[in-house]
Amino acid sequence: MSSRSLKIRVLVLAAVLIGLMLPANAQEAARAKSLSGKLMCVCGCNQILGACNHVGCSYSHGMLKELDERVARNESDDLTLQGFVQEYGPTVLAEPPTTGFSRTAWIMPVVFPGVSLYLLWEVVRRWRQRSAIASASGPSVSAEMLARAQRESGRESDE
Amino acid sequence: MDIFGSFALILALLAAVYAFGAGIAGIVKRRPLLTRSARHAGMAVFALITVAVAVLEYFFFTDNFAMAYVAAHSNRALPGFYKFAALWAGQEGSLLWWSWLLSTYVFFALFLNRKKHPELMPYAGVVMAGVQIFFLTLNNFVASPFNVLAGADAGGVLRMATISDGHGLNPLLQYPEMVIHPPMLYLGYTGFTIPFAFALGALLGRYPGEKWIHITRRWTMVAWCFQGIGVLLGAHWAYAVLGWGGYWAWDPVENAALLPWITGTAFLHSVMMQEKRGMMKVWNVWLVFVTFMLCILGTLLTRSGMVSSVHAFAQSSIGNWFVGFLAIVIIVCTAAYWKNRDYLRSDNQLDSLVSRESSFLFNNLVLLAACFAVLWGTLFPVLSEWVSGSKISVGPPFFNKVNIPIALFLLFLTGVGPLLAWRKTSFDSLKRNFTWPLAGGMVAGIVALLFGFRSVYSLMCLILGVFVTLTIASEFYRGARVIAARDNVNLLSAVGELTMRNTRRYGGYIVHFAMVLIFIGIAGSAFDQDVQQEMNVGETLKIGSYSIQCQNFDVVANSNYRSERAALEVFKGGRSEMMLFPERRFFLASEVTETIVADQSTPLRDLYLVYAGRSPETNRPVIHAYLKPLVKWIWFGGMVLVLGTGLAMLPNRRTALVLRPVSEPSWAEGVSTETSPVRAVAPRSGDD
Repeated sequence: MSSRSLKIRVLVLAAVLIGLMLPANAQEAARAKSLSGKLMCVCGCNQILGACNHVGCSYSHGMLKELDERVARNESDDLTLQGFVQEYGPTVLAEPPTTGFSRTAWIMPVVFPGVSLYLLWEVVRRWRQRSAIASASGPSVSAEMLARAQRESGRESDE
Repeated sequence: MDIFGSFALILALLAAVYAFGAGIAGIVKRRPLLTRSARHAGMAVFALITVAVAVLEYFFFTDNFAMAYVAAHSNRALPGFYKFAALWAGQEGSLLWWSWLLSTYVFFALFLNRKKHPELMPYAGVVMAGVQIFFLTLNNFVASPFNVLAGADAGGVLRMATISDGHGLNPLLQYPEMVIHPPMLYLGYTGFTIPFAFALGALLGRYPGEKWIHITRRWTMVAWCFQGIGVLLGAHWAYAVLGWGGYWAWDPVENAALLPWITGTAFLHSVMMQEKRGMMKVWNVWLVFVTFMLCILGTLLTRSGMVSSVHAFAQSSIGNWFVGFLAIVIIVCTAAYWKNRDYLRSDNQLDSLVSRESSFLFNNLVLLAACFAVLWGTLFPVLSEWVSGSKISVGPPFFNKVNIPIALFLLFLTGVGPLLAWRKTSFDSLKRNFTWPLAGGMVAGIVALLFGFRSVYSLMCLILGVFVTLTIASEFYRGARVIAARDNVNLLSAVGELTMRNTRRYGGYIVHFAMVLIFIGIAGSAFDQDVQQEMNVGETLKIGSYSIQCQNFDVVANSNYRSERAALEVFKGGRSEMMLFPERRFFLASEVTETIVADQSTPLRDLYLVYAGRSPETNRPVIHAYLKPLVKWIWFGGMVLVLGTGLAMLPNRRTALVLRPVSEPSWAEGVSTETSPVRAVAPRSGDD
């Protein structure tokens, strides 16, 4: 093999490798960014990991670096998140898990409007029933008012 | 001098106690003289707290570091502007500021109604005095701003001490907006005391009719508007100062400020049901009660350290006082309601599910669902710790997932509600009112899809935003067209005339439009871009269509701080557009570093640059650039909200129109023909 063809082969191989690596890096960066939105910074700033820019924050830099490393190792999302929970405790997750008591965090915001809607429906149903009963029984009009109405309607028809 | 301030506060407490006691005695014994003296005592509280505030401000401006509060929150080099604002920088001063704002409201409520509502005012005065007693107790005995610094001498004897310079104001608060933001928010929180006092007073005194609603409508709107401005200013401050590229982090303290605003919004809508149809009396009373309770709860969350937040004050035992006060408020409200619930019976029933009334019911339901979701998420970490022993986080992903669908449904109702008639809406009316706005919304959606919009929520927000805007525009257009034809004026003048004839209705529409702008601005966040890069002089960062080249790093210093500054040149299409200077400031007194963002804002997008410090590994400067579409719409929406609320508070312009014969074509025909029978059947006051 001539040195020229070897050079060409090396260049082609390098180009293929770079081509393969670039999208992989971009994908990894996107995955790491998405995962950083599912984790909280544990410095107490109450922000998601990807948003914490707390000056002098002693956690976020290390956590982000660890996240990048886990993503580069091609760990699954679940494994990565669990790894962070093991290390920093459950408060590191940005949203409550759907297990145990934490499940109620997700259930209640659905149950509350549901129950409220049912109660509202009941109130409206009762209102409408009362309204129907009231119109069926007719308005309570005194004899004096009735006579006056008859007098006035008679006058109108005369006119 | 500190004795002078403390003495004024003690007197203020005594005056509030007298206003409370004499007010009750005046009601029980039916002695007008006692009632009048209670009112005067209530008004005197304002003067006395004003003295206390003036004394504390005097200490700030004279650098009196013998005062513990001044030493903790000011220093000699602090600009005068911030020395003034340092009053509310800490627990003690902000509680004093709270009491002063409350006393200002109370003073005006008592003064403006001194010759009106003799049956209701004593009750309302007692409730207001009760609330003042609580806060003045805190000012005097729990968190006094007039404590002096003390230290033990060589013999172990405690003596007054002083230090040469103070610790300085928290650098996060050294921003012009922070001078305005807390007062606005506190004006909201404290302002809800007035409708609460009138509602509870009316219930306790079985005051007939909807008078309390008429009296408090403007007070409620003022408090609601201030709360809204406070929330938006806080969001803007977070955006401009914290440097994380966002304006709302669903932080517990942010949520706490949002909660009473949401219930206040529900109240402002549902009172119209009571004014127009005598319905929802129980609901309205409880909405006001809950709004006030949420104000106290918000204060509890902010001041007790119960939830972790960057905005919260340090953890303290003051939370127990708020828990106690909240418990008293709940007990009193429940007891008053239980005892007088017969007084709150509805005058009318719902006639149709397709009516303005039912839209208000849904609107209230959705607002309450939003309020519950935010409250639940805010308190869940505490609840989880109580129940399962382990604390968990409830962060932005949870709140976004739960609240975005609710908010979009609310936006939909914002468009639907105003176009439905009172009592019953016919199918023809629905078709006439909704065809064009719906078509406009769908066209906007299709165009957005064609342009590559793929975010579902943002797309829905755009469709609904266009729909609501068109419903509002059609309301203005149809009303103005009739006026323009009849009075022979141009359409613009007719719009002005129409608005001034029913300020509440059309001011409300402007507020709705403001909400559309805010929603669109928030929806823009789906298209945010950001790039973080280490940059030396001469290096370039690319974001969107912009190239940002680092020109220089320099240091600027004054007596208050030393700032490391990046000079960044922004290019677009190869042409230099501007220079931006993000900074990191090191505040000398507090020895704290903060970011100062460089934000170039246009209606289409913000170019937001943060100098994020130096990389720990390479020691190279790091620049974080964000491209954020439509953020300016949020702040502009806030201004429109203030304009709409201001308009809605103006009295209607009375015209000769009402005296014309019935056969004269009425503008209302073009707007909503089915509103007229309601006016005939139930001629209640208040405009829709």
